[in-house]
Parts: sequence; C-alpha cells; structure tokens
Amino acid sequence: MRKHLGSRRTRSVLGLLLLAVGLSIVVTACGSSNKSSTSASTGATGGGGSSTQQAAAADVTKCGQKPGVKASGTPIKLGAIVTKQPGTDFTDGATMAQAYFNCVNDNGGINGHPIKYKYYEEQTDPAQIAGFAHKLIQSDKVVGVVGGFSIIECAVDHKYWESLGIYELDAGIAPECWGTSNSAPPNMGPRYSSDGAVQGVIRAGAKKIAFDQSNVPGTGYIQAGPTAVAKSLNVPIESFKDNVPIQDANSIALKLVQAAGTDGGVVLNFTPPEALKILQAAQQQNLQDRVKAWACSTPCNTDFVAKALGQQWDGKLLVNAELNVTDNNGPQTNLYRAVFDKYGSKVTGGLGSFSQMGFTMAQQVVTALESIKGDTYDLKTVNTAIKNLKGWKTDMLCKPWYYGSAPLHIPNNTDFTTTPHNGKMVIKDGCIPISAADPGIAQVRGIEQKDPSLTQAGAPVAGT
Amino acid sequence: MPSWEDFKPFIITGLALGSVYAMSGVGMVVLYRATGVLNLAFGAVGAMGALIAWQLINHNGWAEGPAFVICVLFGGAVTLLYGALFGPPLSGRDPLIKAVATLGLALILLGIMSWVWSDKARSMILPSSNHGFEVSDVFVNYTQVIALGFGIVITIVTGLFLRFTNLGTAMRALANDREITATLGVPVRRVEAAAWLGSGLLAGASGLLLSNLVGLDATTLTFLVISSLAATLIGRLRSIPGTFLAAMGIGLVNALITPILSISQYRDMTPFVLATIALFLLSGRRGNALTGRAG
Repeated sequence: MRKHLGSRRTRSVLGLLLLAVGLSIVVTACGSSNKSSTSASTGATGGGGSSTQQAAAADVTKCGQKPGVKASGTPIKLGAIVTKQPGTDFTDGATMAQAYFNCVNDNGGINGHPIKYKYYEEQTDPAQIAGFAHKLIQSDKVVGVVGGFSIIECAVDHKYWESLGIYELDAGIAPECWGTSNSAPPNMGPRYSSDGAVQGVIRAGAKKIAFDQSNVPGTGYIQAGPTAVAKSLNVPIESFKDNVPIQDANSIALKLVQAAGTDGGVVLNFTPPEALKILQAAQQQNLQDRVKAWACSTPCNTDFVAKALGQQWDGKLLVNAELNVTDNNGPQTNLYRAVFDKYGSKVTGGLGSFSQMGFTMAQQVVTALESIKGDTYDLKTVNTAIKNLKGWKTDMLCKPWYYGSAPLHIPNNTDFTTTPHNGKMVIKDGCIPISAADPGIAQVRGIEQKDPSLTQAGAPVAGT
Repeated sequence: MPSWEDFKPFIITGLALGSVYAMSGVGMVVLYRATGVLNLAFGAVGAMGALIAWQLINHNGWAEGPAFVICVLFGGAVTLLYGALFGPPLSGRDPLIKAVATLGLALILLGIMSWVWSDKARSMILPSSNHGFEVSDVFVNYTQVIALGFGIVITIVTGLFLRFTNLGTAMRALANDREITATLGVPVRRVEAAAWLGSGLLAGASGLLLSNLVGLDATTLTFLVISSLAATLIGRLRSIPGTFLAAMGIGLVNALITPILSISQYRDMTPFVLATIALFLLSGRRGNALTGRAG
C-alpha cells in the first residue's frame, strides 16, 4: 500500500516537474526569438532589431578621436538618475548614452580618458532620488550629470545641482527640467509637445479641441500650454483628465469625439500604451473619421505605435515629434543607428525618441569634454564646458541646441510633425515653431533674440 | 447635463465594460466556489498568456489560432501548477491567507512580464474585432459580442456544472469542508486539480479577450481583478449570476457617468462605491432578518 502511494506521489511530482519545465520553456522562448510576421496582432518592442536596413550605416570609429584605439587613461566619471518602475521604463536614454560612451571609449576616448558611466534607477520616491544624487557626487565622484530621464528628478534635485554648479544634461517630465537655470533637456516635455499637437490639429482645420491627458500630478501646468495656444488662435478647447491605466478606453474615445464634434480635433497626452488604448478603441468603434484630426504629443512618435495601429491611421494621426524620425539620413542619425547596432544590446526599447535623446545628450557631453583645454576633468571644468555649449547642431533636432546662462532652458522649441505610414512614423510637416502664445516659449524666444549666437550653428558636434 | 442622445452610445460601451468585469469576476467566483480560494492572480495569468500569444505571433511566426490555444493552455497549466504546489499546504488556512498567497503569484508573474516584455505599447487585435454592426450610432464589434456571450455562457454552464455533475458537487463539498469531504472518499487532490485547471483555462481565454477589449498591457490586465472584485463581493463570492449582473451594472454606471463632466474623472470609483452600498444593504437586510428571528 505504502509502495503504491509512493509511486503515485513520484508520478505526481514528475508530472508537476514536466509542467514546470514546459512553462519555463514557453517563457524562455518568448525572450529569445526575433522573427517577424504580418499578423493582425501587431506591435513590437520598439524596433529593437537591427537598423542597418533602414538607411546608410555610419562608421562607428567616428565616435572618438583615435579610431580603433581603446582609451586607457584615468576615467572621466559621469552619472544619471532614471525612472524605472512598473508601467514606466525610461532607461533607454541612459542605456543608449552608455552605448555611445562605449563606442567613444573604443575609439580613443576623451584625450585618452575613457568615460565611466553610472546610472541609478529610481521609483518616483523623492527621498530615494535625493539619496542617489548625493551618492553620485559623494561616493561615485561623478563630474557631470548626463543622460538622466526621470519623472520627478528635476524637481527634487535642481537646487542641489545649482548649489554645486552642476549643469545637468537631462530629459524629463517635471516642469523644473525646462524652468530652472541648471537643466537643459534635448526634449521639450509634455506641455510644449502638447502645444505642438494642438497647433497640428488646428492646421488640419479643427474648429474645437478636446485635450485629454493622464490624471497625474502636474496636469494643470501641462494644460495651461495648450489652453493658451488654442485661445490665441480663437479655437475653443475642452480639457479632460483620465486615470491610468485606462480600463474603459471605449467610453473615453467616445467622450472625446463627442466633445470635439465633427469639425473638431482630439489631442492626447499619454504614454504610448495608454494612447494606443484610446486610439484603438476609437478605431474599433469607427470613430477615427468622426473628427477632423487626431493628434498626440511626442510619446506616440515611435514605430511600434504606428505598427500597432495599422494602416487605418495612416495620415490621420498627427504626432508632435520633438526629434527627427529614426531613419533619416543625417550624419548624427546614421551614427546613432550604427552605435545602436554595435553597442546597443541593452537598449530594450530599440530605435525611438528615448534612445535618440540619450544619444544626443551623450554626444553633447562628449562635445563639451572635447572642448576642454588641458587634462583636467573635474566638476568645474566639465560643467563650465557643458554650460558653454551653444549653436550645437544635430539632424535629430530642428534647430541648433544650446545651454548658456539663462533662468530657464527650452532649447528645443521648434518641432516636426509625424504621422503613421505603413507601420512607420514618417514626417508630415517639417520644422514648425511652437507657438509663443505659451508664456514659457515667449520667454525663451526673447533669450534667443538677445543672444543670437545661441542658435547659430557653429559648435563642432562630436563624432561627425 | 448631457442629453439622452449623448448618453445612448455609452450604454453600449457600458455593456462592453461590464462584460470585461464579468469575465474576470465570474472566473474568480468559479474557483472560489470550488476550492475556497479567491484567485487574485486571475488577471496576471490571463495577461501573461496573452503576451505569450502576442510573442509567438509577432516574433516567432506562429499562426494566430495555435498561439491563441497556447494562451488558453498556459492559463490552465500555470494555475494547475500553483494549485498543485500550494493548494494542499494552504488548504487548512484562513481564506484571507489563501487569497494573499495568490497575490504573490500575481506579483511574480507581473515581475516576469515586466522583465521579458518591458512596458512598450503592443496590441492584440482579434480577427473578430474587424467586423461588427451599428447600434445607436455606435459600432459594436464581434469581439465585444463574444465577450458578452462568453460571460453569459460561462455563468450558465458553470452554474449547471456545479449543481448537476458529480465533479461539481464534489467541488462544492470541498469548498465547504475539505476534511469531511476527504473522509467520504472524494479524491480531493484530483477534484481540486480539476478546479484549478478549469479556472486557469478560463483565465487564459479571458486574458485573450481582455487583451483586445482593454489593451495588451500587463499592469492593466493584472490589476483589472481589483475592479472585478467589487462585482464578486456584490455576488457575495457565491452567486455566479449575481456576480455577472453586478459586473454589468458596474460597467453601465461607470460608462454612463463618463459624459457627465463634473464627476467623470471620479468614475473609476464606481465599482467600490457600488460594492460598499451593496454590502451595506445586504448586511442591513441580514441584520433585520436576525433581529426578526430573535423577536
């Protein structure tokens, strides 16, 4: 009897073991294959595959001053803080910056010095973020803060950076990223990007706007921009906030279409997965043609959104794009793709705005480091060099980028408009200035007029 | 206040949302009635099955049919594995402990999903979503119809199964008292395994439909059970038709609030407000009944 029970138990254990092995094989298989298909179920991990078929590949030896020679001097330490939590993964900027630094290090580094990069992942906890900022300076001894991308880091740390004379190169979300003296992002953030999206639907003929965004802290600040822009063009605007993650996208899509009316436009400011839910709900209810135009702020400007939406949205969705499309043929974008191919295995989101921003910030700091005379790379020399960057021209941005001394920085204030086409985002409208009806934009235009050298191309760009 | 014409389309979206809550809610009640376990990992299991199907279709070149079958089978397999491993040791514990243990499974699966698939936008459009018909100026696609029908069929079939089959009777007996049922000669482990497997298959199928109706997003689908939980509470974790009707009611109220802009942004509270009101009324009625009996 006992023997019988024993063999039964053995069989059960073996059965469970087989089941566990089977499950693990299924999950492992999911992480390993990269073949594509043309199924009705669409999407991608952000175009994480090879980029060599998209446009001419650049030579990665252009990353540094001594092609093929590994840098072996004293490292120049740089650091960053990025958000990574369930639902929000901003690590692509930092991983792409790391990829570019690796490329620089393999090709001579900075005057023979390799760049050592360290970034911390935070979970929107102010105490944790402040702790990481102190750790970067006091323990890791970084001399520059570059490539961060966080929801609240600018708000938490800007006073600390100011007290140390650190000029941060960051991309972010918080208003302080664009509204303080020691932060100059390559992106323009949700408010000004929403401004651009509103301008896009008005150009498409919308007579009324329904603007919807996720119900998170800071919505009032964002909403003020589109409201000012629409008001300046005498177009009524109705603003909404919806909790995320969205569970009832059908109702939201319907609400927005009702609010905009047949002559109106709908503008969304959400992360790609949430915007996609609303757009797909609109599509499934045949609502996409019930308004003049649909538009999105920058997060929608990725090929995986275009793929996931399918061809029904081709030309119908206008996306305010803070950076150029990833398959343009400019020298910086070619180098970006080449670096991604060779060094970007950790950039999980693939080619897209986030990794473009990381690459741009990394190129900016390398340009600054290469401009330093002598062999001293400390907090003072590095941050002075960063602050002195101006007229820095890249094909990823519409106009030359600058830092300089100013109470606020919105150097990226002229944007592209893209639209889906055959599963990719393509340029619909070239560079269009964000409306100066938004007070922040009016202020930086004043700064640019006062010192025209800020936006006059002239600074050499690292690697190209 | 919006006009009746403005409200009409939201009745349709409300029914669609209600069917979403109903699928998760009914699935949870089925397992609870059979094993006494409130499976809070129901959404996570379905989400992971749907993501596996998406991966097989988009990156491994699978046809949709077999990938969808894998999604459903994955739900059955992972739930069966959990039930077989953790069901027996937790069988004598408090229902709350059993529920929290499934929350652990949900968080493990959510972690795996975040690790393997990150949080990038994806979509799962079932072939049935490309066709439909118009009701009150609103386009209804066949996936929404299937979801509603699926909820109704599961409610009826499960009710009949638990009531009229030997296995169903054994499941109900087990949920009431595991020890006594075992002494009566019921093969406890086999019956429990059947309940876990059935519930898991249901989670897989629901995950597939929900990934289309709500969105293929691990976090959303995992925590959808929280809203659905309100429907199960109104059904007092026992009544499958009650849970279904509660879910439909929650979906309708939630959707009909949407065009009322002054309260629209608070509509996510609907499931919990309705559950609180229902529990208050139900406990009041029970209290009155007890008082009457005492008197």
